[in-house]
This record gives sequence, C-alpha cells and structure tokens, in this order.
Amino acid sequence: MPGLIHSIIWLFCTLLEAGAVVCAVRTNAFRRYFFLNLYMGMSFVASVGRFQVLKHWGNPSLEYAYFYFYSDALLTIGLYFALLNLYSLVFDEMKVERYLRIGAVLLLGGTAWFSYAVINQSSHRILSHFAFELSQNLYFVGLVLTYVLWGAILKLRETRTRLIQLVLALGAYFSAFAADYALRNLYPNYQAVWQYLTPALGCILPAAWMISFFWVNEEARLAPSRLAAVPR
Amino acid sequence: MSRKLTVVLLVMLVLAGAMSLKTVAVTHGDGSVIMANGGAPPPITPWKNGGAPPPITPWKNGGAPPPITPWK
Repeated sequence: MPGLIHSIIWLFCTLLEAGAVVCAVRTNAFRRYFFLNLYMGMSFVASVGRFQVLKHWGNPSLEYAYFYFYSDALLTIGLYFALLNLYSLVFDEMKVERYLRIGAVLLLGGTAWFSYAVINQSSHRILSHFAFELSQNLYFVGLVLTYVLWGAILKLRETRTRLIQLVLALGAYFSAFAADYALRNLYPNYQAVWQYLTPALGCILPAAWMISFFWVNEEARLAPSRLAAVPR
Repeated sequence: MSRKLTVVLLVMLVLAGAMSLKTVAVTHGDGSVIMANGGAPPPITPWKNGGAPPPITPWKNGGAPPPITPWK
C-alpha cells in the first residue's frame, strides 16, 4: 500500500474527480460536456477499483499491474473522446462535425495500428503490451491535439470562458506530466520528490474542470483585448 | 473530396508528430512510463523484469575478467 501522504493525495484526487461530475450535473453542463464527464466518472470508478485491487493483492502483484494498465488504456481512450468533445464544441459553428468524426476514427485507428505494429515486432504478450503501448501513444496524440486545439482557439478568437478554461486545463495537465517525465529523467536522484509530485499532478485536471463547471457560467465571455491605436 | 483528403493529411501529420515526440521522449528517458490518469501508485510493469532484478547474462563475461584478445 502507498504511504500516508500518497494515500491522501490519491483520495483527494478521487474526490475531485467525483466533484467535477457533481458540479457539471448541478450546473446543467452534464450533457453538453458529456465525454468530459464520462472521463471523470471513469476515472473515479478506476480509482476505486484500483484501490480495491491494491488492497486485496498488493502493489507488486500481477493482478494490480494488469488492472492498472488495462484501466489506464480505457481512461486514455476516454480522455481522447473528451478532447474530441472539446473539438466539436470549438468548431460547432463551422459545421465540420462529419470531418471531425472521420478524423477522430482515422487517428484512433492509426494509433492502434501503430501500437500493434510496434509490439508485434518485440513482444510475445501481445494483448497486455498492446494496452500499455496504446495508452502511451494516445497520450502523445492527445498532447499534440490539445496544442492544435489551443492554436485553433487563438486563431478563431474564441471568447467562451468556460470552454477556454477547459481546454487550457487539459493543456496544463498534459504539459505537467510531460515536464514531470523530463525532470524525473534529468534528476533521478530526487525520487523522494517525484513520488509525491507525480500523483499530485493527477489532481490538476479534475480540480480545474470542477472550478470551471462550478464558478464559470456557460454564458460568460472573455472581453477581447483592446485594439492598439496605430497612426496611419 | 478535397476536404476528406485534407482530413487524412491532418490526421497523418498529427500521428507522425505524436509518434516522433514519443520516440524522442522515450529514447532520452530511463524506460519509465508516462501515466496521466489519476493519483494511483503505478505498478511494476510485468513485462519489464517482473520486479526481480535482472540476472547477469552468462554469455557476457560470466563474472570473470575478459581475456586479452590475441588477434588484436
């Protein structure tokens, strides 16, 4: 079992995940942001499930490893669909839902194919390794897609505050894990710090989404920045 | 038709970019994994060592100091 501090962080993170869904339901945002809430709900269920498996079998067990990696693959697919939910909301006035769907299916299929091609060369435990590889690859696809979406938001001069906050939170979440990974490799001696920092980063997304659902109204708009007066 | 081809092109660009990014990150990493889903403690990956320390490969030195190669 993890230590006391890690357990507290994990519990806090799980409560935030449930809190994000509750806030979305209370502010009538559940259907509009369905896949975001589905992902948060799945995260909550996965956390509870992981705790049960960890309590019963322990961390070094194969049961916990398989449950963790399979649930992680499902969660990453859920996060991918949450990101597509944000894409469809950003581009909803351009009537490109059909092309978004085609692109989403192609990208998911392409990532799955790439993952299979990699593990087919190097592993005999194809299904287990496939879940792990797909999860890792989809993480990087999500990272790139989030930055592309942020670029589109800037280009389209999007002003919906809640939508912008949800996308920014996702960007911060992906970036924080990437930075954590880089720092862990640069400074492996600071394991005492990383063992608490990495799970704490998992709280960023549910906390930010909960705040967005609870405090930011759907009708809120960001005021466009003032135009600079340039002499002609 | 051209719109569909544009979608395919964008998908391929994103996929290639993401996989390149992953390759760069993993190549320069220590083999640990990026897990971005929740605060649960990550397990030991069963297909990497299985938790036990890796054994000494008997076909590499075998513990004894390597001899001087006489043909060099």
